[in-house]
Amino acid sequence: MLAILIDGIVQGLQLSLMAVGITLIFGLGGVLNLAHGQIAVIGGIATALLLAAGLHPLLASVLGVLSAGAFGLIMDRTILVPAYRYQGEERLLLGLLITLGLSFVVNGFLDVRYPTVALTLPLPTPSFTVGAITVRTASAAVAVIALAAFALLFAFLKGTLLGKVVRSIMQNEVGAGLCGINSGRIRTLIVALSAMMAGLAGVMQGLFSSLGTELGNEFTSFALIVAVIGGVRSVNGTLVAGVLLGIVNAYASYYVGAYLTLLILLVTAAGTILVRPQGLFAFRT
Amino acid sequence: MSVLLGVAEIEVGYADIAVVRGVSLDVREGESVGVIGPNGAGKTTLFKAIAGMLGLRGGSVRYAGARIDGRRHYEIVRQGIVYVPAERELFPHMSVLENLELGAYPCYGARAERLKFVLDLFPRLRERRKQLAGTLSGGEQQMLAIGRGLMSRPRVLLLDEPSTGLAPFFVSEIYRKFAQLKSEGLTILLAEQQVPHALSFTDRAYVLENGRIRLSGNSRDLLGNAEIQRTYLGMG
Repeated sequence: MLAILIDGIVQGLQLSLMAVGITLIFGLGGVLNLAHGQIAVIGGIATALLLAAGLHPLLASVLGVLSAGAFGLIMDRTILVPAYRYQGEERLLLGLLITLGLSFVVNGFLDVRYPTVALTLPLPTPSFTVGAITVRTASAAVAVIALAAFALLFAFLKGTLLGKVVRSIMQNEVGAGLCGINSGRIRTLIVALSAMMAGLAGVMQGLFSSLGTELGNEFTSFALIVAVIGGVRSVNGTLVAGVLLGIVNAYASYYVGAYLTLLILLVTAAGTILVRPQGLFAFRT
Repeated sequence: MSVLLGVAEIEVGYADIAVVRGVSLDVREGESVGVIGPNGAGKTTLFKAIAGMLGLRGGSVRYAGARIDGRRHYEIVRQGIVYVPAERELFPHMSVLENLELGAYPCYGARAERLKFVLDLFPRLRERRKQLAGTLSGGEQQMLAIGRGLMSRPRVLLLDEPSTGLAPFFVSEIYRKFAQLKSEGLTILLAEQQVPHALSFTDRAYVLENGRIRLSGNSRDLLGNAEIQRTYLGMG
């Protein structure tokens, strides 16, 4: 039972890492990125290809994460530019269509080009015991990396000028402009950063089990559900929601199976929108 | 003194409606100039156009000798023209200090010195410095909006309806602060519906009606103008 809980928390952290990117891109750019899971897959598959080319796993992972970031950067500066020309609802809708189309293209490209490539990062010791509990080394590694990534993100948002600038744009883009802030440039930076976090989550999938080209849609839907439940403008809310959903997901998968689990998660998301549209855990951004 | 901000024959509008129609005005260095007029006369549109937040359909805006129309609004802020809108546009979930700090974005190295200046000007903000901006009273929010605008050490301050929604006590207090800023050499362009306050504070003023300048002159003369007294001061 405890093992399921730990698994759930760890997977939840991985989900949060993707969902927080959706939250940041929506909060800053007004675009709901439907290709976010695909970016995670790109990071993982790039890592797998670099591994196959003979690189050290750590170096391959770092470069994989960076290539996800580069993909995000290019996405922001090219195909999303037409969406950014509009404001509000028009931007949101155009952004949805563009990123949905991009997710199709990425899925199709990876399926055709790399149908058999998958990322697995086996660790030297598969598990260790703490007291009476046996912990998978991969779970511990993922938890440590994810928590470190979140600690860095929070330190960045709360403690640096750039982080404060990001929060200011999320709270009031007009106000940020009045302070002389070029919000377009900051947005590009945040899209790239969010894409790197997604890439990291993709690489983590290779640590747990295996990451194949088909996982993009699943990642996107789970991350989207987490972002909605956490409050799509709240970074801390997204973290909490990810862990909670990870736990629900782990127990539900164990007792009722994967199909019903997804339904349970979707009903939770829909319920959240009805009861608390700002998100279940939306405190301060 | 030389003209610091020169607006010439500008046309501004939304979709197919022209809101500002051929407005020209000059603001000299160190001067305080008022723009008065009823609601919907085009004051806010005029200010947003100067601040680069709305594009011009015609005419030009010159600042310190160079044309600035067509530049992005954040570049205009960095050059020294800061717009303080009636809506204030603060960051509600950030503290007073964080709001002020972001105001210093264009000259971040000088933020400590600017912070001291702003907190000395508005001691109330010093008392409230840890409080979230969204929890301040209307008057305090207005002080914070003005304070945030002053953080980047502007040469020109565009104040749009600073008295909106404020208790009379706060209005008098804020105008006392404007007088202090003016005495220190800041150039101020002020839009205001509270005409007596605006005309007693400014050196000169323009009367804007239906997107056009109807009258202009020394503020003291305008205060004595029969038509102004009838329309805006409820006399005669």
